[in-house]
Amino acid sequence: MALVADPDEDLVRRVGQGDPAAIQAMVARKLPRMLALAHRMLGDAAEAEDVAQEAMFRAWKQAPRWTPGQARFDTWLHRVGLNLCYDRLRRRREVPTEAPPERPDEGPSPDRGLMAADVGNRVNAALAHLPDRQREAVVLCHYQELTNIEAAALMEVSVEALESLLSRGRRGLRLALADIRPGAEGV
Amino acid sequence: MTSERFLALIAAYGADARRWPEGEREAAKAFVAANPAAVHAALAEADEVDALLFLSRAVQPSMALRDRVIASAAAAGLKARREGRRWLDRLALALGAGWAVATCAGVAAGIMLTTHLTADAQADAVLYQASLMAVDDTEVLG
Repeated sequence: MALVADPDEDLVRRVGQGDPAAIQAMVARKLPRMLALAHRMLGDAAEAEDVAQEAMFRAWKQAPRWTPGQARFDTWLHRVGLNLCYDRLRRRREVPTEAPPERPDEGPSPDRGLMAADVGNRVNAALAHLPDRQREAVVLCHYQELTNIEAAALMEVSVEALESLLSRGRRGLRLALADIRPGAEGV
Repeated sequence: MTSERFLALIAAYGADARRWPEGEREAAKAFVAANPAAVHAALAEADEVDALLFLSRAVQPSMALRDRVIASAAAAGLKARREGRRWLDRLALALGAGWAVATCAGVAAGIMLTTHLTADAQADAVLYQASLMAVDDTEVLG
């Protein structure tokens, strides 16, 4: 098996040795990525923090026994984060609710016009309403900037299937946000 | 690169060539250069979706979350030691060992010196006793 070049290799090794500077560097490098991943997958700030914290805890446990060259640490960490997100999404579906979940505000504020923050919230809401697999594909490729091969491997689908999910996800977003013209005043 | 494949490519990855798969990037860029009018509308549409996606801002970790995550490293069993600190530990160990050796040497020297002095004192005592006995014999024998 070909060795995988990993930009995090040295940092992971030092984290495994308990180097406090490396631990801080790992937090600076990976915590924002894990939080962004979880926030966009779950659409809930508190749950996203829990997932990011748990993913980082597992990174600490893994670092001393990490074998370089077999996989990229970032890809492994994304798998951990995604599994944690899917656990929570599954639990949400299993918990019976009397009323349907509250839908986020998808319309512009009536008295303020469509400001950038509103638009950002609307994009997040539209993202949250995509089917899970489409959202995962968009989040991994667009926001987390993984390669198509990495994202497909993480999702355990072919690259062709990933591209299909991406296309449908992007089309769904465009339809949900059809009234927004990016670049218009205030957006 | 066919027209069909190019349209599928930008529908999935967007209008930014940097996001296109590495293996097809150059061919897709060449396709755009060769067919600018044909791809213009599709690229503009993909670019709009890209721009929408960028309107979603990533949340940033709070200081409290950062602190909790850093603290969790110790809970996960990572010993917070620096390389420099390890050298200090080794130096301290070496100094400690030095003191221990010096102490042992001092104790051994003390024992030897005491033994030597005791032997001298004992020899003096024997000679003194002998001299006393010699005096007594002279007195008795005349």
